[in-house]
Amino acid sequence: MGIAKRAYNALESIVGQKYITDDPAVCEGYRCGPGCYESGLGYERVMTKIPAAVILPRSTEEVQRIVKICNRYSVPYVPYSTGFYGPRSHCHVDNELLIDMKRLNDFEIDEKHMYAVVGTGVIYSPLQEEAMKRGMYVIIGGGGAQASVVANLIGDGWSPLSHRIGLPHRRILGTELVLPDGELVKMGSLAVGEDPFWGDGPGPDLRGLLRGFTGLRGCLGIVTKMAVKLLPFQPEKLMPTGIAPNTALALPQNRMKWINYQVPSKAAQIKAMFEIGKAEIAGAVTKVPLFWRAIAKAECKEEFWDIWGKENEDTIKNFHLVRVLLIGFTSEEQMKYDENVLNDIMAELGSKPRPTKPSDESWIKNADSAGMWLMCGSYTSVDYIIETLSHATQHGEFYADLKKKYTPPLMPDYGDPGWFQSFELGHQGYSEFLVYWDPDEDTTGVDHFYVETSKMNIKNRFYTSLLGPHQPLYLTGPKYGPNYHEWLLKIKDEFDPLWVCHPPVPLAHDVFVERSEWMKSIKDWEVPKKFPMPKWE
Amino acid sequence: MALKDDVAKIVGDQNVSDVKKERLKYSRDYSLVPPGVPDAVAYPKDSKEVSAILKYCNTKNIPVVPVSSATHFHGCTIPKQGGLVLDLARMNKIQEINDADRTARIEAGVTWGQLTAELEKKGMRMIMPLLPPADRSVLTDWLEREVPTNTVYDYGEPMQAMEVVWPGAEPFRLGSASVNGFPDSKSRGANPSGPGLDFYRFVQGAQGTMGVVTWSHIKIEWMPKIDKIFFAPVQDLTYAIDFFHRILPRRIGQECLLLNNVDLAAILAEKWPEDFEKLAATLPPWTLILVISGLQRRPEEKIAYEEKFLAEVLRNEFRDLVLADTLAGFPGAARKLLPMLRKPWPADVPYWKNQWRGASQSLFFIARPGSAPLFIDVVEEVAARHDYPIADIGIYFQPIEHNRACQLEFTFFYDQDDAAEVAIVSSLYRDAAQALMSEGAFFSRPYGELAAMVYERSAGYVAVLKRVKKVFDPKNIMNPGNLCF
Amino acid sequence: MPTTHFSLDIRKLDNFAYDMSKCIKCKGCYWVEHTYMPGVRFSTRCPSNTWNDFDAYGAFGKMRIGMAIMEGKLKWTPKLLEIIYADPLCGACDVGCKRNLDLEIGLSLEAMRVKAVQDGAGPMPAHKKVAQNIAKHHNQFGAPHENRKKWLSADLKVADKADLLYFAGCQASYVTPEIAKAAAKVLNASNTPFMLMPDEWCCGNTLFSVGMLDEARDLARRNIEAVKATGAKTVLLTCAEGYRMWKVDYPKLLNIATTDLGFNVVHLVEFADEAIKKGSLKLSKSVDVRLAYHDACGISRLADPWTPYSGERGWMGTVNPRLKRRRGTHGLYAQPRNILAAIPGVTFVEMPRTRENSFCCGAGRGTKEAFPELASFSAKHRLEEVREVGAEALVSACPWCKSNFSQAVREQGDTIKVMDIAELISASVGP
Repeated sequence: MGIAKRAYNALESIVGQKYITDDPAVCEGYRCGPGCYESGLGYERVMTKIPAAVILPRSTEEVQRIVKICNRYSVPYVPYSTGFYGPRSHCHVDNELLIDMKRLNDFEIDEKHMYAVVGTGVIYSPLQEEAMKRGMYVIIGGGGAQASVVANLIGDGWSPLSHRIGLPHRRILGTELVLPDGELVKMGSLAVGEDPFWGDGPGPDLRGLLRGFTGLRGCLGIVTKMAVKLLPFQPEKLMPTGIAPNTALALPQNRMKWINYQVPSKAAQIKAMFEIGKAEIAGAVTKVPLFWRAIAKAECKEEFWDIWGKENEDTIKNFHLVRVLLIGFTSEEQMKYDENVLNDIMAELGSKPRPTKPSDESWIKNADSAGMWLMCGSYTSVDYIIETLSHATQHGEFYADLKKKYTPPLMPDYGDPGWFQSFELGHQGYSEFLVYWDPDEDTTGVDHFYVETSKMNIKNRFYTSLLGPHQPLYLTGPKYGPNYHEWLLKIKDEFDPLWVCHPPVPLAHDVFVERSEWMKSIKDWEVPKKFPMPKWE
Repeated sequence: MALKDDVAKIVGDQNVSDVKKERLKYSRDYSLVPPGVPDAVAYPKDSKEVSAILKYCNTKNIPVVPVSSATHFHGCTIPKQGGLVLDLARMNKIQEINDADRTARIEAGVTWGQLTAELEKKGMRMIMPLLPPADRSVLTDWLEREVPTNTVYDYGEPMQAMEVVWPGAEPFRLGSASVNGFPDSKSRGANPSGPGLDFYRFVQGAQGTMGVVTWSHIKIEWMPKIDKIFFAPVQDLTYAIDFFHRILPRRIGQECLLLNNVDLAAILAEKWPEDFEKLAATLPPWTLILVISGLQRRPEEKIAYEEKFLAEVLRNEFRDLVLADTLAGFPGAARKLLPMLRKPWPADVPYWKNQWRGASQSLFFIARPGSAPLFIDVVEEVAARHDYPIADIGIYFQPIEHNRACQLEFTFFYDQDDAAEVAIVSSLYRDAAQALMSEGAFFSRPYGELAAMVYERSAGYVAVLKRVKKVFDPKNIMNPGNLCF
Repeated sequence: MPTTHFSLDIRKLDNFAYDMSKCIKCKGCYWVEHTYMPGVRFSTRCPSNTWNDFDAYGAFGKMRIGMAIMEGKLKWTPKLLEIIYADPLCGACDVGCKRNLDLEIGLSLEAMRVKAVQDGAGPMPAHKKVAQNIAKHHNQFGAPHENRKKWLSADLKVADKADLLYFAGCQASYVTPEIAKAAAKVLNASNTPFMLMPDEWCCGNTLFSVGMLDEARDLARRNIEAVKATGAKTVLLTCAEGYRMWKVDYPKLLNIATTDLGFNVVHLVEFADEAIKKGSLKLSKSVDVRLAYHDACGISRLADPWTPYSGERGWMGTVNPRLKRRRGTHGLYAQPRNILAAIPGVTFVEMPRTRENSFCCGAGRGTKEAFPELASFSAKHRLEEVREVGAEALVSACPWCKSNFSQAVREQGDTIKVMDIAELISASVGP
C-alpha cells in the first residue's frame, strides 16, 4: 500500500524529488538484515520491515517539517543515522517512512572551549581526527568508529578510555531534539541563544529525554544536532601505519603506551583495577579476555577457530591479563610518574610488564566493532553495564553460567566470564558480555538466552544495559525503579500520543514475544491484555 | 487544622507543626525573594513518610516545598503559595561509605559539616563548591549543580544513583539503585543513568519542583597525602584566564579559582571590619589560587612533575605571573585557605558573604572564560548606574572542565535593614542579570525572578519542561511558583 | 554439521549468498578506514554512495539488494540497473570489508552484473554500444582498428622479438597516446627491448566489468594465445584497468590461477621501480613540480592475484579448504612512490586519502560510458583533495584516470596539470 500519495507529495515538497524515494529497489537497500547486530535472530526476522519510503533531510527544519507531516497523515517513521545498530533502528511496521539522517553532516569545532558541534550524520573517526589535530580526544564508543556520534551518545558511548572520561551523558552539550510531534526543543545554552557550549538547563535538565542508561532507539524524537564535549589529550601525533587489514596507529612512545600485565589470579586483576583507580593514574585499564587475543592473532576466521579451539576451561580460568594505557597528558614526566606508580602496584601483585606493541589497533581511533562478526557471522553484546567495580567483577560468573545452558547455539567459549574494566578512575566498573552464534542455524536458543539474561539480572540484582526498548518492557519494568516502565510510557504518551515515532518501540520486544510462538515457553511475566498503544501492523 | 492533623497521622504529632514561629523560619532567606509563609511544616523520617505525605498533598492539591538545608540563598524554598514545607532535616543519615568503590550514600538532610567530618575520619573527601555553609545539604547543592572548585576530574558530576519520590507515587529508585531490593544487591548505586530514561536529569536544577530526592549516592575521593597551595597576584584577568587555558587542560592542580580582592578579603578576614578593609585595600585586584596535590602513591613525585610543568610554563610563557606559596600582606594565608577549600563554612560564624553588610546577593552564571572581562564591564556599568560602588563588588571566577567554561559570580553586599540599600541591590541584581543575558551569559539555574527572564528567551524549552512536569507532577503541587511552574 | 558447496565463480550469484547476507552495515565499504580517517573532509571512499546518498548505492545496500535479486524478490527496473551499474567497481568496498569481515563484496557486485546480463536486463545501452565497437573494431571506442599503433613514432625502438611485451590498451592507443609513447621511451631509456602484439585487440575490461562474460572470455582467450604466440615472458601495461584485467580477471574468466597464465603481468611502475633500483633506468632530469599521486584502483586494491576456489562452507561460516582471501595487500603502493621520490625536483605530497583508501576517479569498469555524470562527480571530488594539499599536478598510473581527470579539470577551468606517471618518468629520463 505504501505511504498515502498526499503525504508523499507533501514530504517531497520539503526535500525535493532527489531526496525522497519509494522505489522498491532503493527501499530494499534499507532492509535491516539478515546480517546485522542480533544477526538472524527472531527479533530481526519478526519485527523489521522494509521502509515504504525513504527521505533524506538536510536540516533540522526539514526534519521538523517531515515529522509534522507524519503526524498529520499518521505515517509511522523511524530516524536512522547509520543503520549499524541493527534491527532496533530499522522500520518495524508496514507503510513506514525511514528518515535517513546522513545528510545532516555539519561539523564545527571550538578548540578553546573544547567541544564540537555535529549533525546526526557525522561519525566518530572524523571527529576523533579533528579533535586530535587540536590536542583533544573523545571516546569512540564500543559501537565503533563508524557509529554516528549523536546516535552513539544517546545510546551508548563508552570504551576503555572511559577510565578517565566517564559517562557519556555528561559529554552531551547544547542539543536540538525534534520531538515526536515535530516540535523542536533546544537544550542547554542553545535554549536561549545560538551558543551550544553548555549542556544543562536552564533549570531542570531535559537531556533526561534523550536516553536512559542505554538508548531509546529513536522512539522519543530525533536529535538533529549536538555539541559534544571534547577532552584534552596529549599533544603529539599518532601516526597511522600499515596496509589494510593490518593497520594501526603508532603511538608517540614518550607520551603514550599500552602495557600488559599478566597477573596470577582474578583477585589480583580486580585489586589492580581498584588500586589504579585509587592512585588516579592511567588513561585506560581493562581486562583482556583470552578470546580477544585469539581474534588479534588470527588472520582469518578459520585461523581464529584453530587458535580458539585449543583453549579449554582451565586456560580461560587461568588467564588474567590487565592492559593499561598510559597517557602523558601533562608531560613526559607525568607519564613516567604513572608508570612508576603502576609498576609499584603490579609488583605488589606479583606481576611485571610484558612486551606490548607500540601501537593501538583499536579504541583510540578505530574501535573495531565490525571485527566482532568475523568469527561467527553474528554478534551481540547482551550487557554493557556501568556500575561499580564490585558489580562489574561479579557479573561475569553469572553470565558464564547462563551462557553454558545455551551453548550451543552460542559458540563454545569455555566458560569465559566476559570483560570488565575500570571507569571514572575506579569510581565505576564496566562489564560486557559478548555472544556469538551461527546465524545459519536454529537461533531459538539465542532468542531465549537474550530474554533470560534479564531474568538472571533481576534475580541476582544486577543493573543492566538491557532496559527500556531492549527487552520486553513488561518483564524489566516492574523490577527496576520499581515500575520505571510506567513513567517511560507516560513520557512516550505525552510526547507521542499517536505513537508515530518508531512504533511499537519501546514495546517492540513485548510485541515480538507475543508474535513468536517459540518465545511462549519462557514467557512467565505479566503483560496487559492489550498493550497501551495504538495498533500498528 | 486538617493539614497538620492529617500529616501528623503520617509523621507523628511531634514531627509536624503549624506554629507560627516555626512556619516563619521558612518564610525568608538570604535572598531578595519576597517572604512567604507555609501553612505547616513536616519533618518526615524516611522515604515512606515522604511518599505518604506527597500522596496526601497530591490528593488535596496542597503545595509541598521540600527543604533540606538550614541556610538558603536563592529563595527557592520560600513558599510562594503556602502549603506544606517538607523539611528533610531528620533524614540526615550517612547510610554508607564505601571506600573501595569510592561512593557514599547520603540522605537529603546530610550536611556538608557532617559529611566532611565523617569522610575525614576515613582519610577521604569529596570535591566541593567554594565554602558551602556547614548546614547546607550536600545532596541539594549537587542537585542544584553547584560548581566545584576542583577541575581535574574529567568525569565531573559527583551525583550517582538516587531515590526520588514523585507526587502520588511510591519511592522510585533510579540509575543503578533501581535494581530490585537495593541496597541489598550486587548493584552498589554508582550509575545515575536510567532505567529507561535519564530520570535524574529531570530533578537536577529543578528546585524541588519535580519531586523529592530522598537519598543519593555520591562520589568520594581519597584525601591527598601532600597539598601545596599557590597564590598569584593578578592585575589582568585575561592573562590569568589564558594561564588557566594553558595549565588546566594539562590536568594540573586540584582546586583552582580566581577571587577578586573583595571576595578574598571577605573570606580571609577574621576581625571585622578592620581585617576586611585592610585586605580589600591591599590585595591585588585578583588573586589566583591553585592547589596541587600528591596523591596516595609517590606523592612527592606527583608534586614534582606538576611543579616542573608549572615552572616551565611560567618561565617560557607567563613571565608576568608569579606563583608563590604565600599571599603578600597576609602571612598564614596558605595555612588558612587550604583547609577552607576542603571544608564548609563553619556554622557558628556568619557566612563570609554576610559578615560585611549583614546580607549579600550573588549573581552567577555560566560563560565562556574569555568573556569574563566583558561581563565584568557590564556589571560595573550597571552598578555605576545604580550608585553601587564598583569597588564593593565581590567577583569569583571558577574555571570548569579544564577551563572550557567558567562560572562567574558577582556578589553585592548590603544591609538588609536598610530599605534604600535593599532597593538598590534588588534593582541592580535585576538589571545586571538582564544586561548579562543580553550579552550571552547563560543562567543555567535561574532562581527567583531570574527564571522569568531566562524563560522568556527560551519558549521552546519551557513548553517541554511543562510537558515533563505534567507527567511527574500533574497537579503542580511541588514547590509551585518557581522556575516556569 | 551440514555444509554448503560454493565457489568463487561469479556466474552464479548464490555463490555469494553468505557474503551478501552477512553484511552488517558497518560501512567499512564506504568510509575511509578509520585508522587513516583524515578528518571531516574526504571521509568516504565509495564514489557511488558519495554521488547518491541513498543506502542502495553503497555496498551495504547492494548486498541486501543482491539477496533480493537472488531470491527473485526484485524486478529489474531502470532504477535497479542504475544501482547495479552506477559504480566503478573500484574495490574500495572490498578492501574495506576485508579489514574486518572478509566478505567477498567485490565478487558479489560482479556477480550481480553477470546476473543482470543473464536475465537479459543488463548491461546498460552504452555498454552494448561498447560491445559492438569491440566486436567490430577491436577497440572500445569504435575507432578504426588500423589506427591502434598510430602512437608509435619513429623515434621509438620496438623489437620484433623480446621477452617483454607492451600492451598499450585502447585508452593509450587512441585517447592518450602520450602515455604509450612515454612508456616506450622509458623502456628504451632503460635499454629494455620490448615488443608489441602483432595485432593488439581490446583487453575486454568493460565487457567483463559489466557482466558480459562470454564476450570477455573470448577476448581473454584470444589475447592470452596471442601473447603466448609471441613467446613473451612478461606483459607490461601502463593501464591499471588492463593490468587488473590481465592479472586477475583473465584467470578468473578462465578458471585458472594468475600463476598459470604462462607469463608475468607487470605494470610500468613495477618495471620502473626495479629498473631504478638496479640502475638501468636513470632519472636525471629535474621535474620541478609539486604533485599528488592518485592510486589507480586496478594496480592497487584490485591487484591481488587470482586463484580459483571451490569448497565447502560449514559451521560458523568457516570454509574448507582454506581460502586465501584477496584483500588488496599486493597493490602497487610502494613502487610509484619510490619512483616519485627518485625524480629530481619533484615534491611529492600525499592526499588525505591514499593507497587502499583512495577515492576512485570514477571512470572505470563501464561507469564513464553509462554514467558520465558519476565519473565527472567522482573526478571533481578527488580534485578537491588535490587542491587541499596544494599540489600543482595530479599523477596517476592509468590512462582512464588521466582522461577522466583531464576532462574534469577542463570543465572546471582548473589549473591542475594531470599526468600519467609514464610521462613523468619519461620527462626525467631526458629527451
